[in-house]
Amino acid sequence: MTPTEWAIVALALVGAFFGGVASIGIVRLPDVYTRAHAASKSDTLGAVLSIAAAAFAIQTDLATIKAVFLLVFMFLTNPTAAHAIARAAQDQGIEPWTVGDEEGES
Amino acid sequence: MSSDERTGLYVESTIIMTTVRLVAPFVLTFALFVMFHGANSPGGGFQGGVIAGSVVMMLAFAYGIDAAREWLDVRVVAALASGGVLTFAAIGLGTIVLGGNFLEYHLYEQFISHVVAYAIELVELAIGGIVASVAIGLFFLLAAGFGHAVDSPEGES
Repeated sequence: MTPTEWAIVALALVGAFFGGVASIGIVRLPDVYTRAHAASKSDTLGAVLSIAAAAFAIQTDLATIKAVFLLVFMFLTNPTAAHAIARAAQDQGIEPWTVGDEEGES
Repeated sequence: MSSDERTGLYVESTIIMTTVRLVAPFVLTFALFVMFHGANSPGGGFQGGVIAGSVVMMLAFAYGIDAAREWLDVRVVAALASGGVLTFAAIGLGTIVLGGNFLEYHLYEQFISHVVAYAIELVELAIGGIVASVAIGLFFLLAAGFGHAVDSPEGES
């Protein structure tokens, strides 16, 4: 295997790992703020790393440029969307979960 | 929604406004790209129109729905929709006038060369305008709520 192929495999694996972390976080975390945290940070990183792997794997110029554009805008818009959701949740008066709250209550 | 305490209390977020300002031109360009590529690749007027309409929704999320409604006059939206319908109908019915079938583009070939490509793109643009303006209009109507009359969206509070 060439170094490029190793890089593709590594990027795809790390991206899949962060995607899995984000999925576990969305299911397991207790309230909207912590779930937005999981969905914005690790999901963005997982998606961006996976697209980077795709950009390396597609060896044609135009498709690679498109993948890089997709990567950049994913990096910009995904955290902004999570920020907007968290803002709207705070605007609606949703209290953040704290350690004192009972497990599985909310 | 009459005299709800949340109306008018919207505070802009710097993060959302900056991102929208940065992304909106690219989204609009992508909408035109999708519209013009509808003839020979996935895409077309419907998809491109929805993407173009989503730009206005994005601006409304960032700057507030009332500000977006003031910025984009409802007559502009209506003109875009009816102008698209008229363009489509004119291109389609023009071929019938020339003695062919509906949308039989190559009958225009006697006036302009390569007219089939131009006519397809013009029809895609017209469809895109219709879809974008209908999506924007539906969004504004839904955002106005069900509490007051449709014909006076600025009349509340």
